[in-house]
Amino acid sequence: MIIMQRVLWIFKGRRLALIGLFWLCLVAVVALIAPLLAPFDPFEINPIMRLSEPGIPYLFGTDHFGRDSFSRSVYGARMAIIIGLGSVSVALIVGGVVGMLSAYFNRLGHFLMRVVDVLMAFPALLLALVLMTLLERSVTNTIIVIGIVYATTTARILFGMTLKLKEEVFIDAAKCAGAGHGALLFRHILPNLISPILVQASFIFAFAQLQAAALDFLGLGLPPEIPSWGNMLSEERIYVTRAPWLLIFPGALIILSVFSMNLVGDVLRDKVDPRFKLDIKGI
Amino acid sequence: MLVYTFKRLLACIPTLLIASILVFLFIHLIPGDPVAILLGDAATPEDIAALTYEMGLDQPIWTQYLLWLGNVLQGDLGTSIFFHEPVLSVIADGAETSILLALMTMIWIVVFGIPIGILSATRHGSWVDQITSGGAMLFASIPTFWLGLYLILIFSVGLGWFPSSGFPSISDDGGLLNIRFLVLPSLTLAAPNAALIIRLVRASMLDVSREDHVRTAKAKGLHPMAVSLRHIFRNALIAVAAAFGFTFAALVSEAVVTETVFSLPGIGRLVVQSILRRDYPVIQGVILIIVVLYIIINLLVDLAYARLDPRVSLK
Repeated sequence: MIIMQRVLWIFKGRRLALIGLFWLCLVAVVALIAPLLAPFDPFEINPIMRLSEPGIPYLFGTDHFGRDSFSRSVYGARMAIIIGLGSVSVALIVGGVVGMLSAYFNRLGHFLMRVVDVLMAFPALLLALVLMTLLERSVTNTIIVIGIVYATTTARILFGMTLKLKEEVFIDAAKCAGAGHGALLFRHILPNLISPILVQASFIFAFAQLQAAALDFLGLGLPPEIPSWGNMLSEERIYVTRAPWLLIFPGALIILSVFSMNLVGDVLRDKVDPRFKLDIKGI
Repeated sequence: MLVYTFKRLLACIPTLLIASILVFLFIHLIPGDPVAILLGDAATPEDIAALTYEMGLDQPIWTQYLLWLGNVLQGDLGTSIFFHEPVLSVIADGAETSILLALMTMIWIVVFGIPIGILSATRHGSWVDQITSGGAMLFASIPTFWLGLYLILIFSVGLGWFPSSGFPSISDDGGLLNIRFLVLPSLTLAAPNAALIIRLVRASMLDVSREDHVRTAKAKGLHPMAVSLRHIFRNALIAVAAAFGFTFAALVSEAVVTETVFSLPGIGRLVVQSILRRDYPVIQGVILIIVVLYIIINLLVDLAYARLDPRVSLK
């Protein structure tokens, strides 16, 4: 109940973002109970029913293998959440450790941040593509690759913030009280970084969806048989003239999810850093 | 300004060196023996040994790096495994398409992004602003290839206004009219980037509008239009110019996808095809060129920034 009130307070006057949050929760629930919701096996091939139009019993129609598009979309929600949470965790852990340590230990930081700067000179999708050539197509590798791409920006942001925090009086006080490096970093600096980390996480989650879809489309993301929204678009794109609905549903699901996450991220950022405030009513 | 330019130039050198080391190491990170991969399955052990010697792969890694760097500085990026041609000329073949595509995209971004951004900022809080800002965020949330596919479906298949794929050179039959092949791809590529620029113009104009000189301009009775264009927008442009490097990176990323959707013979599609063909020297060459370009663009952006805003070089 208290959590609900807090959420409502944060999203006060931002109706569209609240709807976005609701949509994201819905996707998460669908992902959790996917096997209960999907009327068909998402892998089951049924050539007689291939490319059927949306209706009953195939709500979103069937693809060129005759697989039920609705069931695949439902399992796609699961993939979206896994890819999102996975790459956010990789980006935050790798980027957080690199950024914080670099700011805390000057000499190490000088070298590490140079490497981060150089990696940031690689356009995101290109870096992901190059890393994918070194690895095999799999869910884990896609998560690692997208996570590493966004670890660079995370490291940059947390580096700057840790650098500032390090000079604060309460850190000196903690040092005088005998706190070691570990305690300073994790007990005194990290808690002050939680809000910017949360904002960063929401944007990485949104970007990760688009990157994963692009990788799937280029044939370098998840293995083709895995039901993800990106793979559904990639596999059915040649049927776009004969069965346009096959691309509308997964496309709309990606757009809605990314849009919602961006809206939620915007609200969180305004709360953390009012400088960027969009000051629009309703959004 | 001179001191700043010099300092900024010097700072590029370590960045370039680290970038070159990373790009060089790429071919060594490929699992397995690079020579065996380069030669394919039909290679005999003798072939492998000969090419290993020829490529200098039996040398210590630092010697190899220096040899490679020497070649690169002389414009030799190696030979494509697929085309059996120098990598540089393979890349040059795709350059026309990619450069024209980028130019057209930049035109759309400026034509749509900047006026809409100004409109959104001058009317901030109104319904115009709600629609444009919300719309910009929505466009930034659309996967590039999805937008491209539907533009093809509507404007090529449905209305037949524009061709759906390919791009004959403007030196071929049709001349400059061949540009029509790039209309849909450049619009696809411009959509998410224009959305970014709209948000950026809006945010930095709102930032500038809180400054003292704007209040002075208003107080002395200038027309609101003059205040927003001459006093706010001009200052806000500095922040927009600073984001140009970022836009370039975003353009390159999305060009890879867009060129694939529209089957354009550009550098972006070359990267994807080279990855699928395991043509490592081409991948390495393209990445090196893009990263160096990005570093140069950022250098120019920084220098332009210092020129536009003298406070920067004094810091």
